[in-house]
Amino acid sequence: MVNYLYSSSPHVKSPRTTRRIMIDVCIALLPACIAGCVLNGIASPLYPEWGWLSFMHLAICCVTCVAAEWIYSLCCRKNFQQILHEFDFTSLVTGLLIGMNLYPTSKWYVGIFASIFAIVIVKMLFGGTGKNIVNPAIAGRIFAFIAFGAAFGGAMFYANPSDNSFVNHITSPISDGIVSGLDAKGNVTGATPLQVLMGGVQNPTNTLTNLDLFLGTGVAGCIGETCKLALIVGGIYLVVRGVLNFRWPLVYIATTGVVSVIIAWIDNVNGYADVNPVTIGMAFDDAIGVFLPSILSGGLILGAIFMATDYVTTPNTKLGNYIYFLLLGIITAVLRKAIHGEAVSFAILIMNLLVPLFDAVIRRRPFGYVKPQRKPRAKKVKADEAVSDEKVIAKEGE
Amino acid sequence: MKTFRGGFHVPDNKALTAASAIEQMPAVTDYYVSLSQHIGKPAQPVVKAGDEVVEGQLIAQASAFVSANIHSPVCGEVVDIVKRKNAQGALVDAIHIKANGKQDKFAYPPLTDPTPAQIIQRIADAGIVGMGGAGFPTAVKLQPKDPVDVLIINAAECEPYLNCDNRLMIERTEQFLQGVRLIAKAIGVTNVYIGIEANKTEAYDKLLAQEGVISDSKEALANRKESDVVLVQLKAKYPQGAEKTIIKACVNREVPVGGLPAAVGCIVDNVGTAYAVYDAVVNGVPLYRRLMTVSGRGVNAPKNIEVAIGTPLSSVVELCGGLNDRTIKLVSGGPMMGFCLADLEVATTKTDSGFLALTDKEASSVLPTPCINCGRCASVCPMRLMPMYIDFYATVGDTDNAVKYGALNCFECGTCAYVCPAKRPIVQSVRLTKMKAKEKK
Repeated sequence: MVNYLYSSSPHVKSPRTTRRIMIDVCIALLPACIAGCVLNGIASPLYPEWGWLSFMHLAICCVTCVAAEWIYSLCCRKNFQQILHEFDFTSLVTGLLIGMNLYPTSKWYVGIFASIFAIVIVKMLFGGTGKNIVNPAIAGRIFAFIAFGAAFGGAMFYANPSDNSFVNHITSPISDGIVSGLDAKGNVTGATPLQVLMGGVQNPTNTLTNLDLFLGTGVAGCIGETCKLALIVGGIYLVVRGVLNFRWPLVYIATTGVVSVIIAWIDNVNGYADVNPVTIGMAFDDAIGVFLPSILSGGLILGAIFMATDYVTTPNTKLGNYIYFLLLGIITAVLRKAIHGEAVSFAILIMNLLVPLFDAVIRRRPFGYVKPQRKPRAKKVKADEAVSDEKVIAKEGE
Repeated sequence: MKTFRGGFHVPDNKALTAASAIEQMPAVTDYYVSLSQHIGKPAQPVVKAGDEVVEGQLIAQASAFVSANIHSPVCGEVVDIVKRKNAQGALVDAIHIKANGKQDKFAYPPLTDPTPAQIIQRIADAGIVGMGGAGFPTAVKLQPKDPVDVLIINAAECEPYLNCDNRLMIERTEQFLQGVRLIAKAIGVTNVYIGIEANKTEAYDKLLAQEGVISDSKEALANRKESDVVLVQLKAKYPQGAEKTIIKACVNREVPVGGLPAAVGCIVDNVGTAYAVYDAVVNGVPLYRRLMTVSGRGVNAPKNIEVAIGTPLSSVVELCGGLNDRTIKLVSGGPMMGFCLADLEVATTKTDSGFLALTDKEASSVLPTPCINCGRCASVCPMRLMPMYIDFYATVGDTDNAVKYGALNCFECGTCAYVCPAKRPIVQSVRLTKMKAKEKK
């Protein structure tokens, strides 16, 4: 007697599994990781060790994330075989993303703490894969940003306003360590181009072109977010593999660009003493130049392709997703104007927290949905609604 | 090409039997004819142990309005009325008939130029039920309470592996079309559509070549004569052959939630049903044989066979060369909506469109992992529900909320569970919810 499998239909299932999807995401992240290491290593001759540092950060974060998940599961009294069976590569994706969100100059321990925070507190304590309410990688980055400040790097630079020349005297407010340097072209890599752009700090030595921003050559920033080309290649891979819907990153990026232009336009108009159609037009002509830099700089493309589109923390309906990504774009652009940095991650964090609201409010119209008609009889017998409802049901059953 | 919103193209694996011509199942000795092969009340047996019956003789009578007659598939002797397992695993009464090798046949008098009432009466006499899988008595279906102006013949056969409708349309094209016209006459409509999936090109071409069949292109529709049958080519996508989706695709009407197709003026019948109507009216032969596809990579020689109803599956499988040892799952019907079988001790019924033996490469045995909220289930749901919530609430035991998310509107096509990367048992959750909601009432 042979024992056959016995189960509810359907008896065939698609070969795609969660693990497969997450491996695809890892593959898609690789070009940006490699580009980050290479660009940081080769392109900055003054600090060739940055390449190795970048690689070290990525490795530390990946190992820590996976280890944190496994240790947490061991603490939950799962045996190791079970853990291996359940391992779905989500923690590896989180690890890669956190590593990509660090700066080459970040201290080595930042990645460890950020990873542990992301995995244990943000993901596992909420119930593990699929149950987290905010994206662990975003939470990890924000944790590192708030908790470590200068040790994290990047965004905590400040320029001495009295001394308007950006030489490499830019120091961290906390550790006093030098966290910026000169890039291949001899430009200051301290303030990211975005901060210069959005902070209104006119940097006379800033000679970065849009192409530089796109390719990530000579651009300061996080390991993973410098080379936009590599990120977009990864994104295209995901779209081809059917993992990612190309609409959502596009909506997000385009909205950010458009809102940035509008904000710059309003700013420019306010700059004119005499507001008339001609100056409004001139202001627009000036503002339109902001479009490309605003979408090509900062962590926008990384966030839009890999972090904001995380399945777990996006709404479940199409309409919900459109609103979600539109709002995300608006919030990013406004935050950039308001806090001059960390806009993408905070925007994603805020919107992630709103997702349950989207899902509660926006429902799909089911196939063949009929608007429930008000029953005039139920109105009359208000006192005993239950009885009248029963009558109606009985009548329908006839 | 017409279609509906949602759905997913499941790899169809139809090539296994698409080209194999229909074979006749040779007689076996023991037949177990189930008394409930249809939706509604089980039929009432009119024979008892020891009676001699001939092929086509009425052996059980419809016991209610929604019920169907059952006829003997063979000449032989009634051994007993026994309890047998059906495909769903429940024990039902079945008439055990031992064949005696005689060749006598009983048939109703053939009808020439019948009236609608005569056709419906004959359909009821012949015990014809919906042969797509649900088994709703056709005579009841053809007498709807609401006015009907459209007849749709469901030739989509969207279930992977199955080919019996496809082969029937290729090999018995004229008879099938005659059956379609008889049904149209019975309900008095001239607006007849045949919805066929684009992957059945041979059947499509063959049908289109027939007199009085036109395609759904604009020019063809403009020159349409009243008696013309419109052949609608549909996108090959699962579940294109579900009642509600094929109506949406063919005539763009949405059956209201909880309503029957007649509510939007449509009646949908299966290819097999149309052929059975032809056989009953023109030849007077009641329904005791049907086509089924025996397929899957666990079957040594996949075939399309015409079997007598009540034939044990083990004999059918034997004809197809038996099962090989890679088989891990037995399925009655298609792989998406069919029932799992524990063994071959099951007899064929009027609703069996196929039998599949799936190997480990075909049948999924992956255990479910947590939902990652990817939304694929919602994007493919033809009923536009949100299966992830139904599954979630059913899993935590919150039936009320699962019902709120439309669990009762689900027709269990299984597309959501197919595409789910976490392999959530969504259909099982829906069934659980339906059962619990029924208990509550």
